[in-house]
Amino acid sequence: MAVRVQFENNNEVGVFSKLTNSYCLVAIGGSENFYSVFEAELADTIPVVHVSVAGCRIIGRMTVANKNGLLVPSSTTDTELQHIRNSLPDTVKVQRVEERLSALGNVIACNDYVALVHPDLDKDTEEILADTLNVEVFRQTVAGNVLVGSYTALTNRGGMVHPKTTIQDQDELSSLLQVPLVAGTVNRGSDVVAAGLVVNDWSAFCGMDTTSTEISVIESVFKLNDAKPTAITSTMRASLIDSMS
Amino acid sequence: MMNIKSEVVKPNTVRVYDLDEYEKLLKGIRVAACMITESHQIVDEESVLKRLNKLTIDGATDGNCCSCCGVGPFASRAQQTAHYKHHWHTHNLKRKLFGKAALTLGQFSSRNEDSSVSGSDSETEGSSSNPASELFAAATRHCKAFFSNHKGKVFCIYRCILHHKKEELSTDGGDTWVERCQRLSIAGYQRWAILMVSGGHFAGAIFSGGVAVVHKTHHSYVTRRGQGQAQVNRDQHGNAPRSAGASMRRYNQAQFLQHVQDIVASWIDDLKGCYLVLYRAVGSLNQSALFGKNSPLTREDPRVRALPFPTRKPTYKEVKRVHETVASVEVYDSMELFQRALIASTSKTAVKTGTDSNIDRNKKTQKSPSKPIDRAKSRERPPRELPTQIVSSEDDGPCFIDSETPAGWIKTLSEQSSNGVITNSRKDLLNDCAVDNSSDSDQENVSARKERNVKLKKKKKVEEKQPKKAPLKISANIKKLWKIASGKDVISLETIREEFAAEELRAACNAPDPADGNTALHKAAIADKPHMVTEILTAGGDPCLRNHALQTPYAAAPHPDTRVAFRLFQAQFPDKYNYSKSQIPGPVTPEQLEQEREKKAQQKKAKRQREKEKQVEKNKLNKFLHMTDVQKVRADLMMCFLCGSKLPRPPFEYSNFTFCSIKCLQNHRNLRPLHNSA
Repeated sequence: MAVRVQFENNNEVGVFSKLTNSYCLVAIGGSENFYSVFEAELADTIPVVHVSVAGCRIIGRMTVANKNGLLVPSSTTDTELQHIRNSLPDTVKVQRVEERLSALGNVIACNDYVALVHPDLDKDTEEILADTLNVEVFRQTVAGNVLVGSYTALTNRGGMVHPKTTIQDQDELSSLLQVPLVAGTVNRGSDVVAAGLVVNDWSAFCGMDTTSTEISVIESVFKLNDAKPTAITSTMRASLIDSMS
Repeated sequence: MMNIKSEVVKPNTVRVYDLDEYEKLLKGIRVAACMITESHQIVDEESVLKRLNKLTIDGATDGNCCSCCGVGPFASRAQQTAHYKHHWHTHNLKRKLFGKAALTLGQFSSRNEDSSVSGSDSETEGSSSNPASELFAAATRHCKAFFSNHKGKVFCIYRCILHHKKEELSTDGGDTWVERCQRLSIAGYQRWAILMVSGGHFAGAIFSGGVAVVHKTHHSYVTRRGQGQAQVNRDQHGNAPRSAGASMRRYNQAQFLQHVQDIVASWIDDLKGCYLVLYRAVGSLNQSALFGKNSPLTREDPRVRALPFPTRKPTYKEVKRVHETVASVEVYDSMELFQRALIASTSKTAVKTGTDSNIDRNKKTQKSPSKPIDRAKSRERPPRELPTQIVSSEDDGPCFIDSETPAGWIKTLSEQSSNGVITNSRKDLLNDCAVDNSSDSDQENVSARKERNVKLKKKKKVEEKQPKKAPLKISANIKKLWKIASGKDVISLETIREEFAAEELRAACNAPDPADGNTALHKAAIADKPHMVTEILTAGGDPCLRNHALQTPYAAAPHPDTRVAFRLFQAQFPDKYNYSKSQIPGPVTPEQLEQEREKKAQQKKAKRQREKEKQVEKNKLNKFLHMTDVQKVRADLMMCFLCGSKLPRPPFEYSNFTFCSIKCLQNHRNLRPLHNSA
């Protein structure tokens, strides 16, 4: 079930939050409304943590995360990093990266197994990414855009890409990522999919403007209706895929 | 490149003010195709349909391929991922972003390796991209506008005489372009003014058709040669030079501005009638001369346009040349010729600048001898001959001789020379050296020098005799002395004292062993006999003599006790020898020695103490580490619960457990998962 939220009257919820299968990061806001929506939905399964990055609230665009790890830009302060490390589960590796393209969330899209990255991303960052998040990294563009992180929302069950992605590109990407993809919009036609939507394997949060049609597309592609956090999607998947291929 | 160059046909030139020819040219004028922007290209239905077909029929397979590189379908997942991680794919991705066609693997691998990763830069080859779009890009950027007429001839006119830089002529129909071109043939539109200001030179003229109606040049001394060019800037920065030349320059500067403004003001009526005012004034200073306060010209005026090419020093001749160049229309007989010329010209400029710089460099090198030497910079060292150096096979010591070589050396050399070991050239050197020594002080007169030479010769003679005797002596008593010096038995020197006469003992002590050059003192030092060393020193063994390895007895002594013996002796008899060459570091008294020994003992004691303390601490830590968590909490020792190290000021803690670092905290938690709930 996808939930509509607003962050201080702003619909770009993907900017102010980061959702993975093992934890959820939420920006420190003026009111607790935003946080409490996440808390109500997720608190019994995963920790929801207040976080800031370099004193900014745009954590969703600055960080890249999956259930295995979290990458933060080099501008993150030591205290913030310590706070993040203290509050996240021990299995999550937290790593700071020196990268010219510092809005990591905009240049990297990933689920727990694969990541699409900006073609110009640094080689070192690519390595850190692969090691920390345990993902296979591919340099790609989405509908001619280099900001793959902004235009892709990705989980282990499905993904949504920029509305102008051609059918062929969608096919290629989904064959590369091994998840079904659909081209779609959020927030009443916004094409920055990742900014308007945060999603993990069993829950989704989108901007208040999102129409019911958009929500139904989101629910169907991310398979949220029947979703519960299960072992098959999280822990056993890698071994299953390996054995099947 | 060479081929293209040779093929390029020089275009005919027609002046705008040659009315007949110009009008002939304008018949059936059209804007050249390359000038029409892409957005106004008419899209024909067919191409759209073709593209659609391509999308629907060719595309949309199962996605198991890379449309960017045109590869696939892939046989396996491994193959697919390998392709997407290949540099080739990344490169093609970037090419696609820049609107260029993808390279095949062959093309990619034949490219230079250095640009393989970046891909976005240095895309000069462009062979695979559309030539038409390239031509368009070149044409729209060009300082000339291109037209074609009914005969298929292509001609180009400088944009600056057709429109102002900021004025965008619509390119769709080209009516305005055509109208502007035709207007130029009317007499009124051929009245142009050309003004040029640069480096204290002003040249201006007003042309009507091909003739100059008014013209004026002016020159002032405003740049001081050889002082760089930005003296005016320095004036504005406070530390203005106050020299006479600088003030003259400053005065002239003001005068020059005044003059130029006067000239322009006096032409005000003529300028009003001009269709164009073309100017060349680089830099704020030159521009302020033309457009400064109360000048009749303003840069906002659409008639006032900058010349699109660099010019030479402003003179009347140059103004005329510029006018002719601006007014000229280049005519190519066909589109093909024109395209070739255009592409050649764009590539030619690069080559040209290259050769220019070469010429400049040549000029500089030619100039350099007359150039004043810049003392601030380090210069290349002029090649100089190395000093003469003679290597002889007989001895390994340094053979380099100059006035600084110690006299002892010269002595030994002269000895060798008398033995006939030394070559002739070496003897010369030796004599030269002797002369050099004497000539150091200019006061010494010739007679003194002669005296010295005589002395030297005498010395030689004396020494000539000595070595002959020495081997004989060695055989007898000296060998005994050496034996005593180096032997293991503790025998005093007294035992053989009676065998030597008073003077003989000293000589015997200083006699070098021909095998290794060791004297008795050396032997005693090497054999580690401090008592013997002291005795030999007392007997007259010189501590400054060196053996064949160039070691003094002190340096040859391997043991500190023996060395101390030398130092003690020096303290005892500071005046007996000249110790400066003996390498003995300095005298030492027995009291000082005692003090040093005590100091060392104390240090040792302290060290032992420290080690003891460390051990105690280690035991304590071990004990702490073996305690259970509960005991640790009770002990309240301000130590990290995991590693036992000291805690930072606010310690890291969870549920009463304190830690030195996050790492420790996390490890502790990992070790005890049951505490998670706490």
